[in-house]
Amino acid sequence: MKIIERFEIPYYQFLNENSQIADEFPLIAENKQVLPVLYQLMVLVRMLDAKAIALQRTGKLGTYPSTRGQEAVFVGIGHALAKKDVYIPYYRDVGSLLQRGVTFSQILQYWGGDERGNFFNPESEDFPHSVPVGSQPLHAVGVGYAIKYRHQQRAVMVTCGDGATSQGDFYEALNVAGAWQLPVVFVVCNNQWAISVSRQVQTAAHTLAQKAIAAGIVGEQIDGNDIIAVQHRTAEALKVARENYQPRLLEMVCYRQHDHTTADDASRYEPKDLREVEWKKEPIARLRVYLEKLGIWNEAKEAALLADCAKKVDQEVKDYFDLKAQSLVSMFDYLYATLPSAYAEQRDILKQMEMVDHG
Amino acid sequence: MKIFHLPDLGEGLAEAEIRDWYVKEGDRVAVDQPLASMETAKAVVDVPSPYTGKIIKLYGKVNDVIQTGSPFISFELDEGTIEQSKGSVVGSLEESSKKWDEGDVIIGAVKTKSPAIKAMPAARVLAQQMKIDLSIVNPTGPQGLITPDDVKRYIDQSTRIPVVDQGESLHGVRRVMANIMMQSHQEIVPVTIIDDADTTTLSKQVNITIHLLKAIVAAVKIAPSLNAWFDGKTLKRQLFDHVDIGLAVDTAEGLFVPVIKQVEKYSVEELRKKVDVYKRSVQDRTITASDMQGATFTLSNFGMIAGRYATPIIVPPMVAILGCGRSRDAVVAMDGKMIIRHIVPLSLTFDHRAVTGGEAARFLGAIIAYLQGTTY
Amino acid sequence: MAEITLVEAITQALAHEMQKDTDVIVLGEDVAKDGGVFRATVGLLDKFGPERVLDTPLAESMIGGLAVGMAVQGLKPVAEFQFMGFIYPAIDQIINHAARIRNRTRGRLSCPVVFRTPYGAGIHAPEHHSESTEALFAHVPGLRVVIPSSPARAYGLLLAAIRDPDPVIFLEPSRLYRFAKQEVKDNGQALPLDTCFTLRTGDDVTLVTWGAMVKETLSACDRLIEAGIQAEVIDVATIKPLDMETILLSVEKTGRCVIIHEAPLTGGVGAEIAAQIAEKALFLLKAPPVRVTGFDTIVPYSRLEKYYIPSEKRIIDAVHRTMEFT
Repeated sequence: MKIIERFEIPYYQFLNENSQIADEFPLIAENKQVLPVLYQLMVLVRMLDAKAIALQRTGKLGTYPSTRGQEAVFVGIGHALAKKDVYIPYYRDVGSLLQRGVTFSQILQYWGGDERGNFFNPESEDFPHSVPVGSQPLHAVGVGYAIKYRHQQRAVMVTCGDGATSQGDFYEALNVAGAWQLPVVFVVCNNQWAISVSRQVQTAAHTLAQKAIAAGIVGEQIDGNDIIAVQHRTAEALKVARENYQPRLLEMVCYRQHDHTTADDASRYEPKDLREVEWKKEPIARLRVYLEKLGIWNEAKEAALLADCAKKVDQEVKDYFDLKAQSLVSMFDYLYATLPSAYAEQRDILKQMEMVDHG
Repeated sequence: MKIFHLPDLGEGLAEAEIRDWYVKEGDRVAVDQPLASMETAKAVVDVPSPYTGKIIKLYGKVNDVIQTGSPFISFELDEGTIEQSKGSVVGSLEESSKKWDEGDVIIGAVKTKSPAIKAMPAARVLAQQMKIDLSIVNPTGPQGLITPDDVKRYIDQSTRIPVVDQGESLHGVRRVMANIMMQSHQEIVPVTIIDDADTTTLSKQVNITIHLLKAIVAAVKIAPSLNAWFDGKTLKRQLFDHVDIGLAVDTAEGLFVPVIKQVEKYSVEELRKKVDVYKRSVQDRTITASDMQGATFTLSNFGMIAGRYATPIIVPPMVAILGCGRSRDAVVAMDGKMIIRHIVPLSLTFDHRAVTGGEAARFLGAIIAYLQGTTY
Repeated sequence: MAEITLVEAITQALAHEMQKDTDVIVLGEDVAKDGGVFRATVGLLDKFGPERVLDTPLAESMIGGLAVGMAVQGLKPVAEFQFMGFIYPAIDQIINHAARIRNRTRGRLSCPVVFRTPYGAGIHAPEHHSESTEALFAHVPGLRVVIPSSPARAYGLLLAAIRDPDPVIFLEPSRLYRFAKQEVKDNGQALPLDTCFTLRTGDDVTLVTWGAMVKETLSACDRLIEAGIQAEVIDVATIKPLDMETILLSVEKTGRCVIIHEAPLTGGVGAEIAAQIAEKALFLLKAPPVRVTGFDTIVPYSRLEKYYIPSEKRIIDAVHRTMEFT
């Protein structure tokens, strides 16, 4: 008997739980312009997220999936993406979408039940929120193929949760990305829970990153609470994808600091105190201490930031509230490029309803 | 041209040696026909032909070793052989050299020539049962739709009585007559007995009407049940000991029936006066309503005008009416000889709910006896 | 110019459009080197190269999702599912994504994909290879479902499907693939989608059908002429969205309708057509609309297969029954 293959999964962390930077660290760890930007964005995301939960609890928003505790993952990968890259989110991606030209009021629109929340902006090639779990990695390989076919220097990044890695579609996507060498970066936000199913129950694999091995592509695990590691490794992966059309799987290890969605009650299954224990690793405090150590952050700045964020949050909520509902016929107007005449009659019924209702 | 590569003849064998060729180049072979004998590490096996066709080239001589997967024999396949390249990994596709025959294909619809008849299914069924052509039924449904009622209406119209839409409503005595006659028809069960009376010996000085009045009084004695009122709902019959006779008088306006009360009390002369008074009061229109009520029997002397026999209508609640037709001289048989006598035709209608045939016959017999001057 | 079979017409259309538009990409299992298990894509790899004719790994869901991603990026993927019986793993990608991405992004993103697959029974194949579940897709808003029935219509409708900016499920009746040949000019002329085709005209009864059943319906039509009955034959072709105008105009004229499809009876597209005829043409009908269809059973294995597929006789009997209501 001989061993014919061995595999290794690297783990990356630069800023540890005590806000100490590793001996060897990437350039960004010293970047005094970028680091505060990342920090401010994470703080804003957390505040917006809390507001969304509050809106849902007061009946002003439908079911909403919180991104609490996962801010570093999404802010970090969003920062690493180039404007020309294509982004395919799942549904917790507030931190990255905000950097892709999507407003939080649009995110609220989506969860508030208005399709315009997926419109983003007219030039965006990004995909909308994806609800069928694990179906979107396949879209990424399609986009990746188009990029490669056109010899463009771009990459496509797709995110999904730890639960999605059990889906057949997830593996099919990794497999074809490897088989065809496509410029796709798969980011798994491993927040340890898929609704009530813990990461340990989801799969026997020790890491999710190693699922890349079966597809013949590179997989690495990253401390998802260390925004420096997140940003750095993602930027690397995107570079390799853009330049060499090489796919990569990045597993971001973090913790879900809220219920799966506002319709879930984690107290039914989450071990008591675990959230509190994990909170010690949370990314925003970690970075703040580091910034203070670097001398680029203080109480006054913090106060100013909070005030500024509060204003932004209010504005986004106002924009969301001010939005008038779409016309009823909009149900038909985006089904096809041109609505077939077979449906004109039904569209008219909606039109009549509208005239009666809206006067 | 098809090249047949040497297959793995025994699960993982890398090569085989040609022991013997069974065919040569140029031969025609059929599928499954043995082509060669091959010796492998395991055994000596025959290799069957995968195709039907002509052998073009043999890639080796006897004793040559051929690697598994290397070219072995090339064929030229027959026309009509199902070529490998036509494939279908499963199943078999029907192949046909038929032409797909369609003729002119129209994109979309062909315009209809004539406007179609719209009818509810129920209307169609009804029309079919009654053998009616829908194209002549007048539609009243929306957008020219024929309803079942339209079909029914068409059926009614073709069997209908013409509507009296011109003309004025009846009033006065005509109206009364119409109503009374309808009521009579609905309630009474009439039977009419017909006979003749020989009035040759009757005094000509007195009008036949007066004689008839007297005759009626006489007949009532014989058959009092014809001088009565009957209520069909309660089945009550009221007999009278007085005879109040309604006398039908014809005028331009219509029928009047003044009632002579207690006819039994009056003499012939008194009756004649009474009758004259009534007739005049009818002509003058001085007759009152009460003069025309309460009759227990009716006499209709229509013979002044024309007609012999009739089926006069009883006015409820009475149970009988006597009709007298036009008198005539007629040849009758008497004692075996033909002689001329004066004959008056009589028609007695009685309500068979309240009067028996026997009673009616006796009544009529009594009338005739009086008029003929005999005893009943 | 050569006469070609239906499957050759598919190849001809693909080759034509790939020549014309470099955004057209063909993908699927065994489509490149092997030219497709029915040879529908034969020769394309040689002409257009491995970047435009892709042999995918064996993963139908992946084929669906990959095509969605490509289409959203503006390519025009023509993805093959080897048999309709194997399209089901991709239903999530078709219904949840392809059919609705235009709608859910308010027109910002769209999905000009064609999913093509051999469909229907009658080729004596093993189980699962004889499906006719077009009604599943006809039920989904945002999709088009197109079914050719002749080489010429296969050519013209496939061109239209590829050029259409929205997703099209293109179902190719496998038992017609090589059934007969027809002259089909390679002129790049598309046929219109969303419309029926009237193949025969007649005043007595309207026969509405699609796919492989067009074959039996046309021969039934010829037999009926001998019996003095002139039938109008309509090939629906695009079964979603339905061109009811053509069907209703014909029923208005004849007053009688027989709908023929291979797919099972209950909930088949024939039911939708019959319902619309009842709603809109009840008062012009001389007889109830009748459906002649496959039974509500799993398509039997090959030994009994021919009893499942509606026969010419069943069609003729149905027509005679409707003619009884005079």
